[in-house]
Amino acid sequence: MSTVVTPPESGSNAEATPPSGPTHRRIAWHLRHGPKRELWLAWSTLVVFYNLFFPMVFVVAQVQPPPAPAWDLATQVHYFHERHLGIPIGLGFIFAITGMTAVNNALIAYSMRRMSISRAFGYSYLLIYSLSALPGLLLLCIALIVATLRPERDPKVLGWLYDFAFLSFDGTMGVFLIGSLIWMVAILIDKNRVFPKWFGYLNLCNALTEVVVAPCWIFGRGVLAWNGQIAWWLDMVVFGVYQVTFIVMLFQMIRREDFGTGPMPDLPRKRATAS
Amino acid sequence: MADIGENVAEGSRSPRNSPRRIDGELILLWTLPAAVIIWASAFFLFPGFMPPMSPTMSADQVAAFYRDAAALPEIRYSMIVFNWFGVCLVPILTLIVMQIRRMAHRTPIFSYAMLGCVAGGPALFLVANVCWLLAAFRPERSPELTQLLNDFAWITFTILVPFLIAQSVILAVAIYFDDQPRPIFSRWVAHFNLLVAAALTPAAFVGLSLSGPLAWDGVLSFWVKNVAIGVWVVVMGVVLGQAVYRERAEIQRRGAELDGA
Repeated sequence: MSTVVTPPESGSNAEATPPSGPTHRRIAWHLRHGPKRELWLAWSTLVVFYNLFFPMVFVVAQVQPPPAPAWDLATQVHYFHERHLGIPIGLGFIFAITGMTAVNNALIAYSMRRMSISRAFGYSYLLIYSLSALPGLLLLCIALIVATLRPERDPKVLGWLYDFAFLSFDGTMGVFLIGSLIWMVAILIDKNRVFPKWFGYLNLCNALTEVVVAPCWIFGRGVLAWNGQIAWWLDMVVFGVYQVTFIVMLFQMIRREDFGTGPMPDLPRKRATAS
Repeated sequence: MADIGENVAEGSRSPRNSPRRIDGELILLWTLPAAVIIWASAFFLFPGFMPPMSPTMSADQVAAFYRDAAALPEIRYSMIVFNWFGVCLVPILTLIVMQIRRMAHRTPIFSYAMLGCVAGGPALFLVANVCWLLAAFRPERSPELTQLLNDFAWITFTILVPFLIAQSVILAVAIYFDDQPRPIFSRWVAHFNLLVAAALTPAAFVGLSLSGPLAWDGVLSFWVKNVAIGVWVVVMGVVLGQAVYRERAEIQRRGAELDGA
């Protein structure tokens, strides 16, 4: 599944005291006995996924940042020619690791299960984000791979694949919009203090990027086009902040987790009793 | 400890202890042998699978494949059957989710993650399926467009591995973490699932080449991947069946004990 990042103080089992010593021995102990090993494994998967995802898409495949929608067909054909190795290798890795998103979504669904709210929130989020992988990532990767498979194809056909891929990436909105709003509402109505309320509003910012990106379906050039300063760059900055924040938020949640059903304690060291 | 309570020691109040619920699971379980027979029949009926169509075929050759009056009904009927029954994998994967829920875990993370994978493989397969059916719908279409649909179908069919890899790895880790005297699945099932995940991974790189082991008709992308899926379905069908029947026997035994008391 993933390598395991050294979990910090994990849990509070009376008999479960991690040994001191070399890191690998502590990791091994946590994997065998750590009371929070399932959560730490899921969180590590999340970190490993994003650490592979961005280099593969941006550096190896070089399909992001996206090219211009206004390019003529000859430039589009050249674009695929240039990436005849990068796209199948980089996006091949994406296909090998995309399943990790199921674990990421499961961890976020778990955060909602820990809240004082209906299970419907967690399940809805899980299903919406599982669905999102198809239009939001996998189909467009397939279109790019099909395009690089035969660069000698009719340029009009390649142009169609070009539009399909990049519009599908930017223009798949509802799954992320509604998914983020579900997490937002869950955080705002939760009484178990799983996340701070301001993080709920950050979800709203992420949701709004999906509104701002909608004009990419209409404009072929300018700041609102699929590669524009607003539709792509601004949204990417917001998503970057959001993503780093939720990784830290989930990290803090696991540290505070007491496996209870009431309000979450503040910090592990402040807890007096074992769960 | 709510999750431990829920996962391991579901008390007598739980609807899961009702025999009728397990009988319903048996109906779902026994759809698998029928589905396997149907999948295998459709697989051998599709003229493009045995042997797999070559990616090096020209656009005209691909168009001729769909224009062949003898092969066209076989293409359509096999893909219609696949369209009907491809999703039969979903109930089986859901039964595995139910067994993961019985494991001695502290959280429902693994069953959630597995649930997130369940529809991924069949959904991608349906995309490939629709592309094959589209190519066969108007074989007189320009060869360029028929080739595009054929490429889309084959690449999607080959590269549909992400959630199959994930569900094997998730199940394997769930089994490794199932710390109880009588685990739901044996350790070898976990090792087996990791092996299957490794066998599926090369197919993700199908876009690299039109010939050789990674091409869509190659040893790794076609034979190893599809044989791995086939073996996984059969092996997991058997061990899942054993687990469901064992659970049923335990519930009946517990029920008899309660009656005796």
